[in-house]
Amino acid sequence: MGRLHTEEMILNMGPQHPSTHGVLRLKLITDGEIVSHVEPVIGYLHRSFEKHAENLEYQMVSPFVDRADYIAAMNNGHAYAIAVEKMLGIELPPRVEYIRVIMAEFQRIASHLIAVGTFGLDVGGITPFIYCMRERELILDLFEMASGARLLYNYIWIGGLAHDLPAGWVEKAYEFLDEFDFHVEEYNRILTTNKIFIERTADVGVLPVEVAINYGVTGPNLRGSGIPFDVRKNQPYSFYDRFEWKVPVGEGAMGSVGDSWDRYMVRIEEMLESAKIIRQALDQLPAEGDVKAAIPKKIRPPKGAEIYSRYENPRGELGFYIRSDGTNIPTRVKMRSPAFSNISALNEISQGWMMSDVITILGSLDIVLGEIDR
Amino acid sequence: MTEESIYSQLSAKFGDACLAFENEASHNPGALIDSTKLMDIMIELKENPAFAFDSLMCVSGFDLGEEAELGMIYHLYSVSLNHYFTIKTLLNRTTPKVASVANMWRTADWHEREVYDMFGVIFEGHPDFKRILLEEDWEGYPLRKDYVPAEFYRGMKIAKER
Amino acid sequence: MIESMANWFLSLTWFPQMELASVKLLSVLLVGAGLFAFIAVNAIVLVYVERKVSAFMQVRLGPMRVGPYGTLQTVADALKLLLKEDIIPTLADSILFRVGPFIILISAIVAFAAIPFSPTVTAADMSIGLYYIVSISSIVVVGIVMSGWASNNKWSLYGAMRSAAQIVSYEIPVGLTLLAVVAMAGSLNMNEIIIAQGGSSNLFHWIPLPLPNWYMFNNPFLFIAFFMYIIGATAEINRTPFDLPESESELVAGFMTEYSGIRWALFFLSEYANFTLVAFLTAVVFMGGWQSPFETIFAAKTSLLVLLALALAWTGYVKTKANRLSIYPLAIIGLSTIAAWLFPGFAIWITEPGLFWIAMKVLSLIFLLMWFRWTFPRLRVDQLMYVSWKVLMPIALFNLIGVATWMWLTGEIQF
Repeated sequence: MGRLHTEEMILNMGPQHPSTHGVLRLKLITDGEIVSHVEPVIGYLHRSFEKHAENLEYQMVSPFVDRADYIAAMNNGHAYAIAVEKMLGIELPPRVEYIRVIMAEFQRIASHLIAVGTFGLDVGGITPFIYCMRERELILDLFEMASGARLLYNYIWIGGLAHDLPAGWVEKAYEFLDEFDFHVEEYNRILTTNKIFIERTADVGVLPVEVAINYGVTGPNLRGSGIPFDVRKNQPYSFYDRFEWKVPVGEGAMGSVGDSWDRYMVRIEEMLESAKIIRQALDQLPAEGDVKAAIPKKIRPPKGAEIYSRYENPRGELGFYIRSDGTNIPTRVKMRSPAFSNISALNEISQGWMMSDVITILGSLDIVLGEIDR
Repeated sequence: MTEESIYSQLSAKFGDACLAFENEASHNPGALIDSTKLMDIMIELKENPAFAFDSLMCVSGFDLGEEAELGMIYHLYSVSLNHYFTIKTLLNRTTPKVASVANMWRTADWHEREVYDMFGVIFEGHPDFKRILLEEDWEGYPLRKDYVPAEFYRGMKIAKER
Repeated sequence: MIESMANWFLSLTWFPQMELASVKLLSVLLVGAGLFAFIAVNAIVLVYVERKVSAFMQVRLGPMRVGPYGTLQTVADALKLLLKEDIIPTLADSILFRVGPFIILISAIVAFAAIPFSPTVTAADMSIGLYYIVSISSIVVVGIVMSGWASNNKWSLYGAMRSAAQIVSYEIPVGLTLLAVVAMAGSLNMNEIIIAQGGSSNLFHWIPLPLPNWYMFNNPFLFIAFFMYIIGATAEINRTPFDLPESESELVAGFMTEYSGIRWALFFLSEYANFTLVAFLTAVVFMGGWQSPFETIFAAKTSLLVLLALALAWTGYVKTKANRLSIYPLAIIGLSTIAAWLFPGFAIWITEPGLFWIAMKVLSLIFLLMWFRWTFPRLRVDQLMYVSWKVLMPIALFNLIGVATWMWLTGEIQF
């Protein structure tokens, strides 16, 4: 009798699947439960951001930028504004910079809450997700007070802000911060220190430092591999050099350095660090200052001017390459989105793991498809 | 290491291949190089321990105009030495071809595919060369300045810009 | 019960003259219909309870719109499912696809035949009741594999294969833990197992803590066996943390991915039927079934006072730790304590065996399993197998030997 004929099975995970965090398609080549190759297929959410930007004035691009990463719209608007301001050489009033930092860090917390919660969901715990959404809702309330919107704010404009903070905003922000540490403790109790959660994530999908750097993986994923690289520290923009905070890195507390648990834990610790930054910024926030004073009437960077500006988005390094031809319309706006590079490393780190682990690893990379496909 | 000293060392080694040092208009100073020598210069930048550019932050294409050339710009960063450099090169519009650096920096894999997708630049030696964001059978390269969208895509009418 | 029912029918004056066999058949049909009605209503109630329990654990309200406090929500859902189009994929194996859900449901219903609801009500009080339940409920696997395979969907197939591996593996440790109880009771009859657990005694007959004479408190080995059985049973009914066959974040919906409408509702029905079955089995085997935990009226009154003190301590703890007022346990236990001390009738009632006590035990176990589901993440396939074969199996074997040794030492068996 001949040997039984076996072959590998190609499994399409997505574009509609509960755990691909959007319309992502993973082509898995599986041998039973073991996955031997993962090919991410992207582009299902491509909205031609870069083509749109070719035909729009500088100011008109910023709402589009918000929509790229809809989980962290504030950060994206901030990144774009910083890039254009650097091209023009605009100095901002201190109040604007402080409010921007506060907003950016609140958005980072909100984004990490989704990352932590959906990661719990991917591993099978439903309750932590709802807990995380509860706190995110409070942050969205704050954003709504300031900008009027809950998801896509267009709050940070080139050279200033859309509105000043409304009365009572600062007090509410303090209120949130006072409660927040207790809630993080809750997440730790229900998820972080859960034995099953640790079994599922520790040592799973280890991302070695060299591989991470080579693939251009940045943000919490790179820091989870043990490198304290953060654009806010290495190349400080805005007022980040005025605050006291540390860059959390993965230490392999439950397994080896760079595993899914480390990437998760870095996000938990980053939320606390962001809360620290917000508290300092709120303390230092100048009472006076016109948030629209520095907004330029016409934006015409010199002909041939170009910039690649780096920004620390919740998902990693968000870069804007902007090129001017001297008119009020940029010739090229390229968005180097962090999740685009982060997910390209997926195949490298999920080979040989089981199908459930691929979902864990994907969740630990914290991707947003809007940003990958643009 | 400053960008100037990186450029002077590069031009000392590669001579004519380094066309110019760009630091006036650009906020990220770097070298404009001859596209045929790209691979050699990139290997030097990555492997030379004095440069040690272990991270390729971004690869972007750009179009200088309907009559002019296409450009490629590589933003490099060294995590270990914490310095930056930019490599820019101009390509012929009709047959844009350049060596792929995807095997050196895996970041370039997807970024080069995106540049191909949007500008039609052919990367020689790329391990998995195909479109990434658009459909495989999409016609044309949208981010070129002379791009005219097709009338139909698989029988669906493509909306015209107003 | 069938016998007595048939005799009761025959004793009725208006009842038409029939042979005993036909009357028995009629009784069987009636009992079956009753069980099915019980399971259907039970599922509807449990779905509502599960939604509310999960909602309260997740600081939500849960269903609130249909009926007062959303009580009619599951009824509305059931109606919706009945009215939905019955979709059978073109490439599915049509016959197996249709049969699968019924096999799962039938195995779940039929198993209820041997469950004792009260000292007098057991559909079929057979001498091999426990063995019958364990064996008939494993037929579920056939139905799951059938529907998973017939769906002609890779995700369904994954779910079915996982489920088959999981249920078959967990049968063994679960069977071994039950065997320890059977050795102790010396019978496979469910009612006899319950009767053996009557009265009260010290914990493990040794530590001076008066507890009901349930098997879980009978000796240390059975105490371990109780927890092992809970773990194994959770795995057998595919609930979190062992819900791999239908893990929604991985396999979409596992073997039921392709099902819709009423067929899908049948899966749901059987899932909750199995859920209840496991709770009944645990209550019968380890917690004295329909026996009351209180042997005398005095015991009932004092135990309730002790429970009240515990509830007070718990409320205080929650208040200081999380600044929340946990009122319900205190209210329920407080009210029953007052009732037991004031009304002798109530005190007598709670010391009598009956449906009330088995229902209480079953509901607490169901709540426990729901609590598991909304707290824990999910295990991975290999970890699941590891738990079954390398953790539960050795402990179960050890337990079996331990129980035998215990019985020998206490003089219950002689060689």
